[in-house]
Amino acid sequence: MANIEIDAPGTSQLFIGNEAIARGALEAGIGFAAAYPGTPSSEILGSLAQIAKKMNIYAEWSINEKVAMEAAAGASYAGIRSLAAMKQNGINVVSDFLANLVMSGTGKGGLVLVSCDDPSAISSSNEQDTRPIAKWLDIPLVEPGDFQEAKDMTKWLFDLAEELGTLCMLRSVTRIAHARGNVKLGELPNKQQKAYFEQIHDLKNVMPTRYIPIPSPVRHLFLHAKMDKALEKFESSLFNRYIGPDRADLLIITCGSCWLYSQDAIEALKLRDRVGILKLGTLWPLPEKFVMEHLNKSDKVLFVEEIDPFLERSVMELGGSFPPKAIRPTFYGKRSGHINAYGELNPDMVIKAVSTILGLTYKARDADYGKKAEAVAKSNVPERSMTFCAGCPHRATFWSIKNALKLDGHDGVVTGDIGCYSMALGPAGFFQVRTMHCMGAGVGVANGLGKLGQFGFNQPVLAVVGDSTFYHATIPALINGIYNQSNFILIILDNSATAMTGFQPHPGTGMTAMGEPTKVISMEALCRSLGARVEVCDPFDLNNTTAILLEMMAEGGGAKVAIMRRQCELVRAKKEKPPYKVRVDAERCIGEACGCDRLCTRIFLCPGLIWDKKTGKSKVDEVICNGCGVCVDVCPQGAIIKEAA
Amino acid sequence: MAAESKGCKGLFDEVIDAGLCTLCGACTGRCPYLAYYQGRIALLDNCTRIDEAQCYDYCPRTHIDMNAISQKIFGVQYSDGEIGNTKEVLIARSTDANITEKAQYGGVVTTLLSLALDEGFIEGAILTKTSDGKTPSPFLAQAVNDILQCAGSSYMACPVLERYNQIPEDNSDKLGIVAMPCQVLAVAKMKANPPANRASIDNIRLVIGLFCTWALSPQNFYQFLKENLDLSEVKKFDIPPPPANRFDIFTASSKTSFPLEKIRKFTMPTCAYCLDMTSEFADISVGSVEDIEGWNTVIVRTKIGAELMEMAKKKGKLQIDKLPSASLAHLKEASLLKKKRALNEIIKRSGDRNNLIYVGLSTKLAEKILE
Repeated sequence: MANIEIDAPGTSQLFIGNEAIARGALEAGIGFAAAYPGTPSSEILGSLAQIAKKMNIYAEWSINEKVAMEAAAGASYAGIRSLAAMKQNGINVVSDFLANLVMSGTGKGGLVLVSCDDPSAISSSNEQDTRPIAKWLDIPLVEPGDFQEAKDMTKWLFDLAEELGTLCMLRSVTRIAHARGNVKLGELPNKQQKAYFEQIHDLKNVMPTRYIPIPSPVRHLFLHAKMDKALEKFESSLFNRYIGPDRADLLIITCGSCWLYSQDAIEALKLRDRVGILKLGTLWPLPEKFVMEHLNKSDKVLFVEEIDPFLERSVMELGGSFPPKAIRPTFYGKRSGHINAYGELNPDMVIKAVSTILGLTYKARDADYGKKAEAVAKSNVPERSMTFCAGCPHRATFWSIKNALKLDGHDGVVTGDIGCYSMALGPAGFFQVRTMHCMGAGVGVANGLGKLGQFGFNQPVLAVVGDSTFYHATIPALINGIYNQSNFILIILDNSATAMTGFQPHPGTGMTAMGEPTKVISMEALCRSLGARVEVCDPFDLNNTTAILLEMMAEGGGAKVAIMRRQCELVRAKKEKPPYKVRVDAERCIGEACGCDRLCTRIFLCPGLIWDKKTGKSKVDEVICNGCGVCVDVCPQGAIIKEAA
Repeated sequence: MAAESKGCKGLFDEVIDAGLCTLCGACTGRCPYLAYYQGRIALLDNCTRIDEAQCYDYCPRTHIDMNAISQKIFGVQYSDGEIGNTKEVLIARSTDANITEKAQYGGVVTTLLSLALDEGFIEGAILTKTSDGKTPSPFLAQAVNDILQCAGSSYMACPVLERYNQIPEDNSDKLGIVAMPCQVLAVAKMKANPPANRASIDNIRLVIGLFCTWALSPQNFYQFLKENLDLSEVKKFDIPPPPANRFDIFTASSKTSFPLEKIRKFTMPTCAYCLDMTSEFADISVGSVEDIEGWNTVIVRTKIGAELMEMAKKKGKLQIDKLPSASLAHLKEASLLKKKRALNEIIKRSGDRNNLIYVGLSTKLAEKILE
């Protein structure tokens, strides 16, 4: 990660969007940052945590997004500027708190929420636009259109949040969060921060200061007043601007990364003289006057934005208040079908939309171009499927789950969750996972399935969660299952890391975000204290793991916990050499013959094993193999040999 | 002529899902896709060998050409007699009281195995072990004491052949096996057409077949036993010869008897389609004798079987006599009755007198049995 704390005002640094946001927070004098990791947001807290000690700020990986936001609010109440960051799913987790927070107001320290959306759900279970929550809950919302803005807006947003006394939100998307660009640095503040929860309570002020959402109608009224004030600021914000002719054939209204795509499209079409772009940085409350001023620049308006038609609908609502004889522009966008209401956009899509509206003959690149380019690029790259790493304990766990369910023969159901192990819905996990929603949902779903005995349901139910997910969202569902005697087995895939998002520590790791040792919250002690039967297995011991799962399924009667404990292979491999040297004895390997049928390279599918078409035998790819030795126990012929490395 | 091979899909379609699996274990133990667990054969993953697979080939409920197998084992066409190809039909009992106490009837199986092991005729024996209150499991005995531990019948199906399949390919120990008729049939199929990528089937030098009218489903029967007594106390099971009509369970201190009718509901459905009561493709077949308590009926079928019996006689390990002709007649009658019942069941199932499902018999012989 870049040095976001570098004290060199006026110089330019190459930052990814998330680092730019973190730098903006630093320049704003942030004292407190909390987050739960989630792509594409993770580097915001990650980069702050790295320099937290040096910069005398506090940064934590919280147990979940709700706690992160609440902790940040606590710091705000004591006068510390604070930030919470999360991906789109986190906004759902935190929404109940947000709905109350907007009513209670924030403290003397400005409070900023950063939400990073993942259009096309490249690293997500779902695709979701979080901008509507700003409209829903009355939260001032901004969205940077480039890396410089990501920094500058964040800094500015703290001032605004503090002035308004309400939570302000910055929305970013993957292509801002993870792309890299030049950022011109500003000054770093140099003042000592003092935290104090002021409770003004004297003869003149009978009611002490309180952060509570009641009396609700009054608080709601206050909130609207804050939004009016935000609107006033937004109307004159320099983050909103127009480029283009005074009178345009087409006006594009855009924000975020689509601002870049729109500029590219107009450049490519050489339409700078005919098409204007209205770039909005402050999205909600919508700067109505500013927008209205520019709406009459053209009688055709195209909205270019990712995922939901947020600006489109907001501007169209504005259209309802046009004077009766006003000229109404024709609106193009998601409603008209010119822009997709799903997935990421790109300059080609904008080119296509503009060309169609203006009747141009410009041909955007053939839709097949991408596929063709991909094929060319792939021609020199070995094909790799989406799978667990070589030596990943999850592969071993799902092997045992698969075998245990097949041996048990009662058509057991696996409910899944969010993490690397989500891949178990495909070949990586032998197609075992049947449901997947938000974090913790698999255990909730298992709670329901496990109570259907009275309707003749006798399928075993296994809920798989990762260790970080266990702490994040599973504990209430487990307690519910134990209390209500639901019949399921909670399988915790404890690889001692929040692996999918970059090995952030969690309460089971004994390490804080700032690198300090702390108390390990033992998941088995916790589960046992709830009265659940708990078994701890080594997933690499396939026979024992399968036997324990079979036995737990046969036992039935209430929620149980099986912990599959093995460190993430990537974490282990950074610290130690592989435990084994693994090779295939070609004499013993029977390949496709009856009795094997390429079990290791057709079903087990560890990327460390390769199929040699020429010899009709399996081989170990020494570069990829991490020497876990699990395939030795999978091979039916004893043809895979491991020797202590 | 070898029957048409099919893959494991054929095995499931024709045998396992059709309810004809005998749980003999011929398809498990080596194949990574098929596994025996608690009275079932489970398919752990998809095997692409849908045209040809050994699981299908060696299953005793897929097509069996009786003449071809008989040619391979005995060098002659399949016998049209009631109890298969025989050299001698005898009665025998062990001279060792330690054996007769624990074993079934005359203790002939335990005695012959112990002798074969002692004399280096075999180096191990694949047996069925019922212990620790568990359902019977296959066991490779490599010492006389191990053999004694396996003495006595459990009357429950057990995947004995799984243990053979698990033997490493490069192991050349000479082995004996004690098997039910369906398992003996699977061994015979393997001998006629040796398996690939497993220990050589020729390592199995001695096949001792047991008489069998039916076997019990291990899971269902085990559940019944658990509900009625403490399984860890059970020492021995017995079905005394007719007309007792009882199933006896002995513990160290007591005997519990159930009417046979009560037990029969736990029999494997597939047994109704079995023609073989006397393990016709074994080297030696052993069972009880009607009316003569404490003795076994012994059918000597092959040269190896005869040699071993001769050795047991010479060494004084077995007391041997001719089977009285009345008893022989009873045995043949019972064996023929099983064949007749099975063929009728098979025809009922196939709905066609010329479709004997898995049984490859000449029409002439089938008609003779059905007479």
